[in-house]
Amino acid sequence: MAEAVIVVALLLVAASATVAVAVRDPVRQSLVLAVLGVVLAVLFTVLQAPDVGLSQLAVGSALTPLLLLLTVRKVKRRGRRRKESES
Amino acid sequence: MNGWILAAAVVLTAGVGATLWGVATGPLRRRAAAQNLSTALACPVLLLLAQGYDRPAYVDLALVLALLGPVGTLVFARMLADELADDPPHARGPTWSAAALGAAVVVAVCVATGPGRALVKLLVIGALLVGGNLVASRALAGGMREARRG
Repeated sequence: MAEAVIVVALLLVAASATVAVAVRDPVRQSLVLAVLGVVLAVLFTVLQAPDVGLSQLAVGSALTPLLLLLTVRKVKRRGRRRKESES
Repeated sequence: MNGWILAAAVVLTAGVGATLWGVATGPLRRRAAAQNLSTALACPVLLLLAQGYDRPAYVDLALVLALLGPVGTLVFARMLADELADDPPHARGPTWSAAALGAAVVVAVCVATGPGRALVKLLVIGALLVGGNLVASRALAGGMREARRG
């Protein structure tokens, strides 16, 4: 009966990973990725691997979204500068 | 399957499932608020799981999430400040109900733990969880912009 929570966590991981692929805008994708990281950490805990979950939390909840958003900002800024130099 | 794990499964299905729906659809402000709520709801789940498996060491995960969840939301509030400036996310009802759920779970686990060092750790986690999420949702609702304006 304790497998029910494993099934729930697996279903949530599958759903959030599918959503992360389906969303097209990188900014919204980073929001979904943050949720995916948290749900993955819960899955690792449920599977009795809290050490893996700990590192997943550290990387997934703050670091990955930060890197993605910084990249998006840099790309946007470069695109704007190129447009200004062309016009 | 004991009651703690059942409660964790219910919160995971209803709470985190709902925030996953919120983060997948709708305008950007709803997605940002749902991301904040997902960390606020996953932390009580981890506490309930630690109690359910009877492994006090699993509480560390909840501690890390209570620390890093608001940090992640502050990252979004800072980097998306321009996009969110037009219509800032106001999710007062869900934020307070998530905070109340977190406080209730912390109190229940504290009662089950009994006095000792573990109790102090749980109280620290509860304070970080509730305080951090209230600060993070204030920042999403426009506190970051006011701070920048001076």
